[in-house]
Amino acid sequence: MLKNALKHNETYLFLVIVVFSLGVTIVNPAFMTLENMFDLARSSSATAILAIGFFMVLLSGGIDVSFPAVAISGQYIAVNVLIAMGIDNLLLAFLISIAVGLSFGLINAFFITTFRLPTLIVTLGTLNMFHGALLEFVGTKAVNTGGLPDVFKSFGKTNVLTLMRPDGTEYGLSIFFLVLIIIAVGTWLILRFTILGRGIYALGGDPEAARRAGFNLNRIQVFLYCYAGLLAGIMGIMHVSLIRYSNPNYIVDSELLKVIAAVVLGGASITGGKGSIIGTLLGVLMITVLEKNLVLLGLSSYWQQFFVGLILVLGVSVTHIQAKIRNRNRILVS
Amino acid sequence: MTDAKRSNNITLLIILVAIMGIMAIFLPDKFLTGINFRSMIRQFPEYGLLAFAILLAMITGGIDLSVVSITSLTGVVAAKILAAHAVIGELWGVGPWTVIFLAILSALAVAVLCGILNGILITLAGVPAIIATLGTNGLFLGIAIILTEGHGITGFPTEFLFFGNGRVLGLPTQFVIFILVALLLGLILTRTAQGFRMYMLGSNPLVAKFSGVNNTMVLIKTHVLTALLAGIASIIMISSVNSMRPGYGQAYLLLAVLIAILGGTNPAGGFGTVLGVTLAIFALQAMQSGLNILSFTPFFKKFIWGLMLLLVMVIHFYRQRYAATKGLGKAPPQKPMEKAEAG
Repeated sequence: MLKNALKHNETYLFLVIVVFSLGVTIVNPAFMTLENMFDLARSSSATAILAIGFFMVLLSGGIDVSFPAVAISGQYIAVNVLIAMGIDNLLLAFLISIAVGLSFGLINAFFITTFRLPTLIVTLGTLNMFHGALLEFVGTKAVNTGGLPDVFKSFGKTNVLTLMRPDGTEYGLSIFFLVLIIIAVGTWLILRFTILGRGIYALGGDPEAARRAGFNLNRIQVFLYCYAGLLAGIMGIMHVSLIRYSNPNYIVDSELLKVIAAVVLGGASITGGKGSIIGTLLGVLMITVLEKNLVLLGLSSYWQQFFVGLILVLGVSVTHIQAKIRNRNRILVS
Repeated sequence: MTDAKRSNNITLLIILVAIMGIMAIFLPDKFLTGINFRSMIRQFPEYGLLAFAILLAMITGGIDLSVVSITSLTGVVAAKILAAHAVIGELWGVGPWTVIFLAILSALAVAVLCGILNGILITLAGVPAIIATLGTNGLFLGIAIILTEGHGITGFPTEFLFFGNGRVLGLPTQFVIFILVALLLGLILTRTAQGFRMYMLGSNPLVAKFSGVNNTMVLIKTHVLTALLAGIASIIMISSVNSMRPGYGQAYLLLAVLIAILGGTNPAGGFGTVLGVTLAIFALQAMQSGLNILSFTPFFKKFIWGLMLLLVMVIHFYRQRYAATKGLGKAPPQKPMEKAEAG
C-alpha cells in the first residue's frame, strides 16, 4: 500500500510536469525541441547531483543544509590550487574538490555521530563555518572566465552526443548529463541492493528498530554525510565548468532552497524513510522547467524566489495532508 | 529542572564576566568606554528579538527558519508606507506620526498573517516546522523581493528615526523596547496558560493533547508571537539604517539560533528561558564588540559563530550526560534519538 502511494506521488509529479510543459509549448513552440531538452539537461545536472546527496541524508531522517558551502569550497579551492600550481588538469581538480567534500562531510559526521546532536543545528553551524573559513582563509575574489584554467571550459563544452541543426551548426548532449546518470544509477544500486542501502531506509524509518536489527548506525551516518560531501565536491567542479566563472559567494544563496524544494517535492519525507531517486530527479526537473519558463509566462526574474518557496510550501502541504488522511483512516493516534 | 536552569544561567554569567574581563584587560582604552557600551546596547536589540523568536519556537519543540524573511517582508511593507509619507500626509491631511503609526500597524499585521500561515502549515497541514518555515522563508523573502523589485527603499520621515537612533529617558529607544519585550515575554512564559502549555507541548505533545491542551491553537499562537517579534525587529532595523532592502539581516538567522541554544534552550523542546537567552545575547554582543575592535572581517565572524554553535552543543551534550550520571531523577531526561534527529 505504501509502495502504491509512493508510486502515485511520482506519477502525479510527472503528470504535472507534462501538463506544464505542454502549456509552455503552446506559448513557445521552441520549448519542446530536442535542443532545448539537451540544454535543460545540461543546466540542471549539477543541481540534481546536489539533490541526490541531500535526498540520501533526508532518507536517513537527518538533514544536511551545509552542502552549498561544501560545493563552493570544493570548487573555489580546486580552481585556486590549479591556478597557483599552473596545472591544467581536470582529474586533479575533481580530486581536490572531492577531497574537500569528503573532509567536510567527515566533520559533519563527527559531530552528529559522536555527540548525537540534531543534524539541522550541526549543519547550520558547519554551513557558516565552512563558508566563513573559505572567504577568510582562501579568498573573496572571483575568478573570471579569462583567468579560469582551460580544462573547466573544455569540460563544460564536451558533449557525449552531437547532432546537426538544419543550418549545419552542431549541438549536443552535455557530458554533465552522463555524470548525473552514473551517479543516479550508482546511488540507486546502493539503496536497492546493498545492506548499507537497506540500513539507510531502516535508520530513517525507526533508528531504535534499526539499531536492534543490528545495523551500525554510526557507520551508516558517516557514509551518508561523506557521500553528500563527495557529491557536493563533484557538483562544485561541474558548476564552474557550466558557468565558466568562480565566485566564492555563488551556490550558497541560490541552491539551498531550490534543492530542498526539489527533493521534498519529489516525495521524500522530511522525517526519513520515504522517497526515491526517480522522485528526486523529477523534483529537480519540475523546479528547473518552472524556473526557466517564468520569463516566458510574463513574470520577471524577481518572482523566482517566491515561486520556489511557494512550490515548496504547496508540495509539502499536499504530501503531509495526504499522510494525515491516511493515518486517520488507520485510526492511529496522531 | 530548576537546578539545571540555574546552573546554565550561572555558567552564562561567568562566561559574560570572563569575556568582559578579557576585553577589559587587553583592550582597556577601547572596550571599557561609554561609547562602546552605548553602541553595544544599540546593536543587540535587532537580533536579540529574533533570538527570542527562535526561543519561543524551540520551546514548543519546533524551529522558525522564516524569522529573518518575516523581518524582510514586514520591513518592506513599513518602508513602502513610510517612503510615501508625503503623499499620504497630503492626501489625508495627517502628520508624520500618524503615517508612522500606520506603517508600524501594517508591519505588525503582516507579521501576524505570516505567523498564522506558519502555524496553519505546522498544525493543520501537519508539516514539520523545519520544512514548513524553510518554505515560507523563501515565500516571504520572495514577496519582499517582488514588492521592491530588488531595489532599496529610502526617504522615511525624520521622526521615524526615533526607533533606531532616538532616546527614551537617556537610553536608546531600541534598548528600551527590547527590555519591555523581554519582560512581557517572561511574563507570558511563566505566568500565563499559553506559556505553560508551550512548555508542556514541547516536552511531550501527546501528553499535552491528552491533558486537554489544544495543541493546534497553542502552536498557532506561538508562531504569531514569533512573527510579531520579527516584525518589531524589522521596525528597529529599518529605523537604525534609515532604509530597507529585502534580504537585509540574513546573517541574523544563524546568530539567533546560536543565541537561543547558548541560552540553554533545548532544540528538542520543553526547555528554555527568557533570562538565559538575554544573558546569551549580552555575552554574544560583548564578543561581537571585541571582534569588531580587533577588526576581524565579517567572514571570520561567520566562521566563529558557526564553530561556536557546534561547541555550545557539544558542551550541552557533556553537561547533560554528567547530570544524567550524577543527579538521576533531577536531571532533564535524555531525549530519545529520533526526536533529536527531527529537531
